[in-house]
Amino acid sequence: MTLNEKIYKWLDDRFKLSELLPPIVKHPAPLNVVSNPLYCLGGTAFLCFLILVVTGIFLAMYYKPTPAEAYKSVEHIMTAVPMGSLIRSVHHWAANTMIAAVMLHMMRIYFMGAYKKPRELNWVVGISLLLITTTFGFSGYLLPWDQLAFWATKIGTGIAGSIPVIGGYISLILVGGNDIGAETLTRFFAIHVMILPIAIATLLGLHFLMVRIQGISGRL
Amino acid sequence: MALIEVEKHEVEEQKPEPVRVRGLPFFPHFLLREVVVMCLIAGGLIMLASIYPAGLLKPADPFDTPSPIYPEWYFLYVFGFLKFWTWNIGPIPAKMIGVTLPMVLWYGLLILVPFIDRNPSSDIRKRKVAVALGVIALIGILYFTYFSIVHH
Ligand code: HEM
Repeated sequence: MTLNEKIYKWLDDRFKLSELLPPIVKHPAPLNVVSNPLYCLGGTAFLCFLILVVTGIFLAMYYKPTPAEAYKSVEHIMTAVPMGSLIRSVHHWAANTMIAAVMLHMMRIYFMGAYKKPRELNWVVGISLLLITTTFGFSGYLLPWDQLAFWATKIGTGIAGSIPVIGGYISLILVGGNDIGAETLTRFFAIHVMILPIAIATLLGLHFLMVRIQGISGRL
Repeated sequence: MALIEVEKHEVEEQKPEPVRVRGLPFFPHFLLREVVVMCLIAGGLIMLASIYPAGLLKPADPFDTPSPIYPEWYFLYVFGFLKFWTWNIGPIPAKMIGVTLPMVLWYGLLILVPFIDRNPSSDIRKRKVAVALGVIALIGILYFTYFSIVHH
C-alpha cells in the first residue's frame, strides 16, 4: 500500500469517502453548461468574493476606523506596508469585478428565463445579494476617508435620506448624527466588515443550496 | 466552485434523457479547466491592480467641497435619473420621484420579476415582451449613467 492509499483508507474508514466522492467526481458536467461561458459569471462573482475576504482581512490588520487615523493608515498601507499597495488595489479591482459579474450573471438569468418555476425564490435571494454587493461598495467607499470618500458619502446618504417614509431612518442609522463624522466612519466600518459579510455568507449559502437542490436550468 | 459543479449533473439525472449524456467528466477535465479559469481571473486582477493602483486623494475636509464628485460607477444611474427628472407630479415634488423611482421602485420591480412574468416558456423566441422590457431597462440604465456623466 502506498502512502496515498493509506491516507485514503484512513479517511475512508471514518468518512465513507468511497460513497461520498463518486457522485461528485464521476458525473459529467452537461455540455450546454460547459460550452457556454455565460454560466461562469456566478462562479466569477464568487471567486471575487473569496479574494475580497482574503485581501480584506489583510487590510483590516492595518486599517484604523477613526477620522484622525483612517486616512493615515491607508496611506501607510499604500506606501510602507510590504505588498500593501498591491493588496489594497486587488481589493479595489476584485470589488468592481464582482459587481460587474453579479450584474452580468443577473442578466443571464433574466434573458435565459432561469428565474421561472421552481427558481422564483432563488431570484429573490439573488436580488438581495445584488443589494448587499452594492452596499458593500457604498460602505467601503467611505473608509479611506479622503475627499472623494467623504463627499460621495455625504451625497449618497443625502439621497438615501430623501426616500419617502423610510429615508429619515436610513440616514439616521447610517450617519449616526447630523453630519458625516466619527460615528459614521465606525458604523460604515462595522457594516462593511461585520454585518454585510455575515449577511452575504448566509444568503450565498441559501443561493448555492437552492441551485444544488434544483439543478441548473436549461434546455439543450 | 466545485460545490456548484455538483448539481450540474443532477439535471441530467432528473430529466430522463433520450440521448446519452454528453459532457465533460468532472474530474479531472472539468476541474482542470475551472482551475485554469480561476487562475486567469486572479492573474487579470493582479495585473489590473499593478497597472492601475487604487487611488487616494487628499484627506477629507468637511469645509472644502471638491468640484466633480463621482459615486461608484454602479450608482451613477441614480444620480443621472435624479438630474433627468425635473417634473413635479401634482403635490409630489420632482426630487422625491427622482429618488424613489430608480431605487425603491426599480428594486421592487426586480424582486417581483418571477411573479410578474407568468409565461412558463424559457424559449427566448416565445417571451418577446419580457425580452423587450429587459432590453428597455438595460438601455435606460445605460442612458442615465451616460446622462450623469455628461450633465455633471
Ligand atoms: C453575490 C452574488 C452572486 C453569486 C456569487 C451567485 C452565484 C451563482 C452561481 C455560482 C450559480 C450557478 C450558475 C451560474 O453560475 O450561472 C448561480 C445560479 C443562479 N443565480 Fe446567482 N449569484 C449571485 C447573485 C445573483 C443575482 C443578483 C441573481 C438574480 C437576481 C441570481 C440568481 C440566480 C438564479 C435564479 C440561479 C439559478 C440559475 C439556473 O438554474 O440556471 N444570483 N448563482
